[in-house]
Amino acid sequence: MTKPEEIDWGQLEAIIDKHRGESWALIPLLQDIQETFGYIPEESIETIAEALNLFASQVQGVISFYAGLSLKPKGKYVIKACRGTACHVKGGRSILRYMKKELGLDEGETSPDYKFTLETVACLGACFLAPAMMVNRAYFGKLSPPKVTSILAEYGKKKGED
Amino acid sequence: MEEISLTINGKNISCPPGTSILKAALENGIKIPTLCYHPHLEPVGACRLCLVEDEKTGRIMASCVTPVSPNMVIQTDSPIIKKHRINIIRLMMANHPESCIVCSQGNRCELRQIAAELGVGQIGLYPMPHYTGLEEANPFIIRDLSKCILCGKCIRADHELVVVGAIDYNLRGFKSRPSTVHEMPLEKSSCTFCGTCVSLCPTGALSLKNTRYVGSPQNESSTICGFCGVGCSLVMGSVDGQIIEVNPSHKEGTVNRSTLCVRGHFSHDFLNVSERLTSPLIRRDGELSPATWDEALEVVAKGLKSIKKKNGPQSLAFLGSSKCTVEENYLFQKIVRVILGTNNVDNCSYGSGKAVINLINEKLNGGGRIKPLAGLEAAEMIFVVGADPTQSVPVVGYSLKRASNMKRIPLIVADPRKTDLVSFSSLWLPLAPHSDFAMLNALAAILYKRQSYDIDFINKFTEGFDLYCDGLSSVDLKKVSRFTGLDIKLMEKAADLIEGKKIAFVIGHGIMQQRYGTLAMDALLNLALMTGSLGGDGQGIYLLARENNQMGAWDMGAAPDFLPGRQSLYNDIIRKHWEQNWEVKLSPDPGLNIIRMIEEAEKHNLKALYIMGENPLRSLPQPKRISNALNNLELLIVQDILDTETTQLADVVLPGAAFSEKGGTFTNLEGRIQSFEPVVSPPGEAKPDWEILDLLFAKMGYSKRYSSLKDIRAEISNLVPMYSELGGNGVETWIKETSNMRLFHPDREREPIHFSPVITTKNEKSEKDYPFTAILGSLRYHLGSGTRTGYSDRIRDFGLKGEAEMSSEDSAGLNLKEGDKVRISSPYGSISREVTIKRDLSPGLIFIPIAFQNNDSRQLIELTQLGEADSPGWKECQVKVEKLET
Ligand code: SF4
Ligand code: SF4
Ligand code: SF4
Ligand code: FES
Ligand code: FES
Repeated sequence: MTKPEEIDWGQLEAIIDKHRGESWALIPLLQDIQETFGYIPEESIETIAEALNLFASQVQGVISFYAGLSLKPKGKYVIKACRGTACHVKGGRSILRYMKKELGLDEGETSPDYKFTLETVACLGACFLAPAMMVNRAYFGKLSPPKVTSILAEYGKKKGED
Repeated sequence: MEEISLTINGKNISCPPGTSILKAALENGIKIPTLCYHPHLEPVGACRLCLVEDEKTGRIMASCVTPVSPNMVIQTDSPIIKKHRINIIRLMMANHPESCIVCSQGNRCELRQIAAELGVGQIGLYPMPHYTGLEEANPFIIRDLSKCILCGKCIRADHELVVVGAIDYNLRGFKSRPSTVHEMPLEKSSCTFCGTCVSLCPTGALSLKNTRYVGSPQNESSTICGFCGVGCSLVMGSVDGQIIEVNPSHKEGTVNRSTLCVRGHFSHDFLNVSERLTSPLIRRDGELSPATWDEALEVVAKGLKSIKKKNGPQSLAFLGSSKCTVEENYLFQKIVRVILGTNNVDNCSYGSGKAVINLINEKLNGGGRIKPLAGLEAAEMIFVVGADPTQSVPVVGYSLKRASNMKRIPLIVADPRKTDLVSFSSLWLPLAPHSDFAMLNALAAILYKRQSYDIDFINKFTEGFDLYCDGLSSVDLKKVSRFTGLDIKLMEKAADLIEGKKIAFVIGHGIMQQRYGTLAMDALLNLALMTGSLGGDGQGIYLLARENNQMGAWDMGAAPDFLPGRQSLYNDIIRKHWEQNWEVKLSPDPGLNIIRMIEEAEKHNLKALYIMGENPLRSLPQPKRISNALNNLELLIVQDILDTETTQLADVVLPGAAFSEKGGTFTNLEGRIQSFEPVVSPPGEAKPDWEILDLLFAKMGYSKRYSSLKDIRAEISNLVPMYSELGGNGVETWIKETSNMRLFHPDREREPIHFSPVITTKNEKSEKDYPFTAILGSLRYHLGSGTRTGYSDRIRDFGLKGEAEMSSEDSAGLNLKEGDKVRISSPYGSISREVTIKRDLSPGLIFIPIAFQNNDSRQLIELTQLGEADSPGWKECQVKVEKLET
C-alpha cells in the first residue's frame, strides 16, 4: 500500500498512458493502478477518463461498483469482519465491537499510519468457522476477544497502542 | 428480413426480428406499465415493471429488453404478472420517503400513477427510506435522491441524448445513486443544466426549481422555443396566465427529441418579469406616459406620413426582428415597401452573417437549404468550422457529439480555441483567428495533389474547375502553414479524414461574423463542390442560425436587398412580379441595412426609425454611436415586449407579445417551418405584433386588412413558392427549395455552379499597441446580446460573471492570477473583467463571453458593415490588457 503522499504520479501516468484510447480497457487499467498503489487516487479519475475517452462519472461509477477497487487508500492490513447471519448468531456483533475498540477504528476507516483498515462483509463464506474474520487473504475463525487480540498482535498491533 | 409472428394478449402480431416485446405491444396498442423505458433511450431492464409471461414456456421476462421470437404467446396482464408488478411497486414504495405526499411532482409522478393503476394502497412493508441530502443550491434543478428509484433514465439521457456525462451510478446496492464525479453539487460538475434528465425522471427525484410557484401547472400546451435557431418543440405549463414551467414536447420527429438546453428549459421565466411592457407609451414633455392604442398609432402614422412628405421615403427605415414570426416579418417589410415606398428594411440577424448568406444565396440560389439535424448522425464525415454549437445552439452540439461518440463518425473541428467539442473530435485544427480560408484552400490543394475529387459531380454540376485547379496547384503549403499556424502534417491528417468522403460542414459565427468570412465561405463552397458534398442528405452546409426565426425573417424579405422568398430586389423581372403581386410600384433603390441606417441617422439623413423586437443599443457595436444616432432622429418608434435600453430613447413605445402569447410561425436552421398557437394571453394591453402591424396598415390608409393569421398565411403561401405549404397552428412543414441550379434539378438545362478563385494569404497589419486578439463568443446561458436571458431570474441567480479567458503564458506575463481584474481596451472602447486562466488557450488570444455585464464587450468592436473589404468583422478585435489593482 502506497501512502497518498508517496504516490509516484509519473508511474501512475505511465500506467494510464499504456491504455490511452482503449475505452474497453478501463477495468484492467483500474486493476493495474489498484495493484500498484493499493487504491485509485481520486485525483486520477479525470485523467483516466480523458485518456480512455470516457466520462469521468463513468470511471467513478465503475470504481465504486467493484469491491476490489477503492478510491480510498487502505492500510497494509485490511481486516474484514463478518456481518453474516451465522456469525451474527455466534456473537459476531460483539466481536466487531471489540475489534473497533482494539483498533480504534470505525467501519471503513484506516489508521493514520496506513497499517490497518477495518471493513465489514456480508458473509465471508466460512460460516462453519463463525464468528469469522479475514486479514488480507488469511481466514481466522471461532473468534473470541482474546483470539482477536492475539491475531492483531501478530500483525503488529500492540495492546494499548493506537 | 422475415417478420416474426407471435400473439400478445391473444392478438396476432408480426414485427421485424429484433423488436422488443414491449415495442411490439406498444405499436399494437397494448399498454404495458414501465418506469425505466423511454423510446429515445437504450433499454436497460432496470425496473422490471414491464414483466410479461410467455404462456407456452411459463417464462417471465422484462419485455423492454427481450426481443420477440417466433410463436411466443405473451400475456401482459396475467394474475402472476400482476402479482409480481404489485410487489415491485410495494418494494419501491417502501424505499420511498414520506415527503412523497407533498412532492411537487404530484399526480404526474409515474410511480404514483402506476401504483394507483395497480391498486397498491397500503404497502404492508416496513418502510426503509433512504435519506439523502436535498440539493438545491443551483437555481435550476432540485435533486432529492431519496425519491430515486434507480431507473437510470437521467443517466442515459445525460450520456445518450445530450452526451455530457455529468452523472453516472455511484456505489453499489442500497447506497447506489446517480452521482456527479466526487459527488460534487451539479454546479461544480460538467452539468450544462439542460434539464433533460429532469424531464425524463419518472418521480420527484429530479425537479425543476421554481422561484415563484410550487405545484403543478393548470394548463399545458405545445409551442416552439423562442431563443435559438434550433427551434425546439416545447410544452409550456401555465398557472393564471403565467408560464411556470417548460419541458420538451412528447411529439415524435421533433428536432430536439426529448432534449432542451438551459435557455429553453429554464430562462423562459423572463416572460413573467415586471419589466414587460403592458401599455402603449407616448413621449409627452420628455416623459414616456401611457396612451391608448389609437393615440399611439395615430402619432406613428402621422409622423411617418409627414416625414415622408417632407424628406422623401429614403428618410424612413424599419428595423425588424429575427425573433418575430414569419407572418410578422412579411407584414413588416410589406409596410416598408408598399406603403412607405422604400427598401430601408432590415433585421437584427444582419450581424449573424448576412454577407455570408448572400454569398451562399448567390451560389446555390436557395438550393441545399433543407438540412435536418438527423442527417448529421448519418454523415460520412463532419467538419465544424468556426462554431461552438455546444454553447451557441446546444441541440446541434448534442447531434454532433452523438455522431462522433456513438456513431463513430469522423469529426474535424477547426477553431482557434479548444472548444468543448474538441474532446469529441477526431482532429482539432487550432488555427490562427480568421485564417480559415487559407486552411480550407490548403486542404483542397492537398486533396487535389492526391487526385482525390469527385470528377463526376464536378463535370455534371460545376464550371471553372480547370481554373480552380490552377489556383490549387500554386498553393504554397509552407506559406499557409505560417499564416494559419497549422503544421502541414496536421493538414495532411485532416485531408486523410476527408479523402473519399462527402462532407457535412457546420458553420457558425466564427465564419459568419469574421473579417474574412466571405473568403472562407468561398473556399468552403469550393471544397464542397470539389468533393461533391452538396445536394444529398448528411452533407453540404449546416448554417447555425443564432436566432429562432433568423431564417424566416430573411425568407420573408426583412432585408434591404431581399424580396420575399429571398429573391433579389435588383432583378427587374422579379421586382416587376412583386409589383403585380402587390399592385404597387416598387422602389428599385437599394435600401439601407442596419449599419447604414445608423450612419444615415448620424448624418441626419434618416429621420424616422421604426424598430420591432430589437435592442440595437445593447446588440450593436459602439453603443455610444448608436445612442447618438438614435437621438438624432425626429421619430423613434419601438415595438417590443420588454423595457430595454432602446425603448428608453423612443418617442412611441408599442407593447408586443412574446411568442408564447401569440400564434405564428418560425423557420429553424434545418428549414423546418413550425407554426404554433398561443399558450397564454399577452400581459395588459400588449398585442401580438402582427395585430399591431395590421392596425398600422389601416392607420396608414391601406385598404387590405389582416384580421387573422390565416389571412397573412394565405397571402404568403400564395405569393412565396418557398412557403407554399405554410400550414395552420401546430402544423409543421418544410421550405420548398426553389433553386435555379442544375444540381438541385435533374434536367441539365439549368445553371452550373462556379468555382471561386483561390486566395491563400492576406497581409496582416501588426498592431503593436494592441497586442492581443480578443475573440468574442457566446456561452449557453445567454442568447445573443442577452436582453431576454438577462431578465431571467434563474440565469441572474446563477451569477455568472463572464470572465475573460487568458492563456497561462499571457497571465504569467502580466502577473495575473485567477480572478484578478483587468481592463481590456481596443481603439473603440474598454471594459473591465475578471480573468480566468485557460491552459489550452494559445498565447496572444483572449476569449470574452458576450452578453454579460449588459453586453459591454461590444464596445470593443468597430461598427462596420460585415463582409466589406476593409471590415475587421465583429468576431475578433485587437486589444491591450492592463491589470487593475484592487
Ligand atoms: S433520479 Fe430519477 S431518472 Fe434518475 S435514476 Fe433516479 S428515478 Fe430514475
Ligand atoms: S441537466 Fe443535462 S447535463 Fe446536467 S446532468 Fe442532467 S442531462 Fe446531464
Ligand atoms: S435555445 Fe435553442 S437549443 Fe435551447 S431549447 Fe431553445 S431552441 Fe432548443
Ligand atoms: S456468516 Fe460469517 S462467514 Fe458466513
Ligand atoms: S421498463 Fe422494462 S425493466 Fe423497466
